[in-house]
Amino acid sequence: MEKLLSVLVLLMLVPGADAQLAVVPAQPAQEESRLLGLELLWNQAVQAKDTRALEILIAPEMVDIEYDGTLLNRDLYLASVASQSVHAEHIGNESMSVHLYGQIAVVIGVYREAGTESGKPYSRRGRFTDTWVRRSGSWLCVATQSTLIAR
Amino acid sequence: MRTTVSIMILMCSALLMAAAQDNANANADSGQVARVLALEHAWNQAAERKDTKALDAILDNSMLYVDYYGILRTKAEYLAWIRSEKLQPEQEVTLALTARMFGNTVLATGVYVTKGVENGKPYLRRARFVDTWTFQSGTWLCVASQSTPVLR
Repeated sequence: MEKLLSVLVLLMLVPGADAQLAVVPAQPAQEESRLLGLELLWNQAVQAKDTRALEILIAPEMVDIEYDGTLLNRDLYLASVASQSVHAEHIGNESMSVHLYGQIAVVIGVYREAGTESGKPYSRRGRFTDTWVRRSGSWLCVATQSTLIAR
Repeated sequence: MRTTVSIMILMCSALLMAAAQDNANANADSGQVARVLALEHAWNQAAERKDTKALDAILDNSMLYVDYYGILRTKAEYLAWIRSEKLQPEQEVTLALTARMFGNTVLATGVYVTKGVENGKPYLRRARFVDTWTFQSGTWLCVASQSTPVLR
């Protein structure tokens, strides 16, 4: 399963990798669906605790702002995903929109997450902003932030 | 021998030129980052003074703003909120402000502490934020901003 996710991530990251020929530059609509696909793979990788797949998705200098305002770098984020004290059983996204600015893309959406943390069940609903940078033809996330929706 | 020395000089010159170019690029990047950091401070001052004209000039028309409560606002909605008499910000301070450049984009991150009165009730908020700035037609404009309360 882990290997499969990693391969899927690689295929999604590189424009044209899934189409054999990469002669024609990707259109904005294609880039948008690619980024939405990467967002879904990210959720699956977190649920599967597949940090190898996540390493492919996120840039070394990524900053993560958690729902409680904690600031994590990539290593700390990967360690938090790998931690055995947290089990995300379901993560779903809704109302996602993609905004392209050349080599940068901003994805905004709402997520619902449920699972257990230190043996206790949790459920969260928050809004997120992910910033992606296109580097050597691949999209890499450089910032991710979530804020709980209070009302 | 003369050829070897010439080749060595050429190689050294090329290395020095490459290093000088890297240095020039780094200086240009740090100059742009400094401009964005200055715009962050200008944003705080404009919000405090309810100067929506100044805010209009630094926010892209497509800007999306996720506030402290997770509410998504467009630029027009954000400006209307700032303009509203229900919101009376008194002071806003930014801490731990850093910025990183990615091509024509700068991500600014930091923590703000703000106090004031909203709907007649005093508030004191501490939140971590990420602002995404892009360089468009010779100007830096913020295209996305999100705040998250710092709970611990």
